[in-house]
Amino acid sequence: MKNFFASLWFRCISTLFIIICFSGCSLSILSDLLYVSSQERTDRAIKKIYGEVQLYNTVLDGEIDETINYDFGFIDKIYEVQVSENESYLLFKSTGNQGYKGGTISLWISVAENEHGTLSIKKVILDGYNKQTLMSKLTSSFYGNYNLTDVTSAYENGELFTTDVNTPNSNPITGATKSANAANNAVNCVITYLGENYED
Amino acid sequence: MKTNFKKIATDGIITQNPTLKLILGTCPTLALTTMAMNGIYMGLAVTFVLICSNLLISLLRKVIPSEVRIPAFVLVIATFVTIVRLLLDKLLPDAYEVLGLYLPLIVVNCIILARAESFASKNGPIASICDGLFMGIGFMLALTLMGAFRELLGSGAIFGIQLWDFSIGFFSSSAGSFFTYGLFIAIFSLIDGVISKKQKIKNYALLVKSKSLDSNEITEEK
Repeated sequence: MKNFFASLWFRCISTLFIIICFSGCSLSILSDLLYVSSQERTDRAIKKIYGEVQLYNTVLDGEIDETINYDFGFIDKIYEVQVSENESYLLFKSTGNQGYKGGTISLWISVAENEHGTLSIKKVILDGYNKQTLMSKLTSSFYGNYNLTDVTSAYENGELFTTDVNTPNSNPITGATKSANAANNAVNCVITYLGENYED
Repeated sequence: MKTNFKKIATDGIITQNPTLKLILGTCPTLALTTMAMNGIYMGLAVTFVLICSNLLISLLRKVIPSEVRIPAFVLVIATFVTIVRLLLDKLLPDAYEVLGLYLPLIVVNCIILARAESFASKNGPIASICDGLFMGIGFMLALTLMGAFRELLGSGAIFGIQLWDFSIGFFSSSAGSFFTYGLFIAIFSLIDGVISKKQKIKNYALLVKSKSLDSNEITEEK
């Protein structure tokens, strides 16, 4: 018995086990202390899109309500952001699937009513992704291509975003077609939702 | 044995610079040096991990059996990298977003494992902290200088401040990163070669002087 506890094998395993236990305990404590809540993430997205943190109302929260599902993705958060007294924007958090290796891309999409009374996509930023490896190819100019001036018209004409260059709203990326497809699907969820639920 | 802190500092920043002399950690060096600020973010993250992992490994050097030292080192390094990720996500989300995939890759960064194996596991805690600090500073300086160079030529800006409209797209590309890295290694080797040559001449002069003094002493005794 004494030889067993004095053996090299036991010392090696026990050393590694102790390091693992201490690491695990410290990381579990720190991950609680440094936890970033979904509200904090929303505040960050709003600050990124609108320049500073704005007041907002929750229209849909996927953690409480049911998400809005489509074949190509889902919308799990909708906020109404009060930018000024007379101006408010809709902010969507949408996830598009059918990405690389069946992965997804989540985007924050800001929609506003412009002076003609139509809904337009003002700004799109990345929230997160799953299984995509070429996200560096999705640059700010790629997201800038999503600035649609008339969302409901695009929906009525069936002009959703695709990676096919022969379509009206094409937004491909060479070498990252599937990731671009997932990003397009995230935006298409918002276009479909607005097309189905909002009239000009 | 008294620790030579001056040597540790000069080794980390100049004579054994991990990026430009030892050619370690080339993956983040090539990928993140598109902007000077990225170099600073990565440098700070690596410095933090280096200091903490060197300290802990130095404290545990007599406890960890040599047969499992590498997995033990990797466990320690991975713990501190996870702590850095949690801290950056909470306190500096912009840095977290910029570093992206390269933050968890710090675990397998050769600089950290190499310093743990070659220095921290053989020296005391204070010396190990200093080694981690100066190696991290050396890494950060190299990345920041390269990032500033590429940002200046590639987009006409530095630290995000636009200086001029002129830009050479090549320096923002992957090919430009390799070119810049090679250029900086060449410049560093040149400077290092000049300094080493001067040091050799100085040492030779001292040797000749001491030998002539010895021969004078022998002549006087006779």
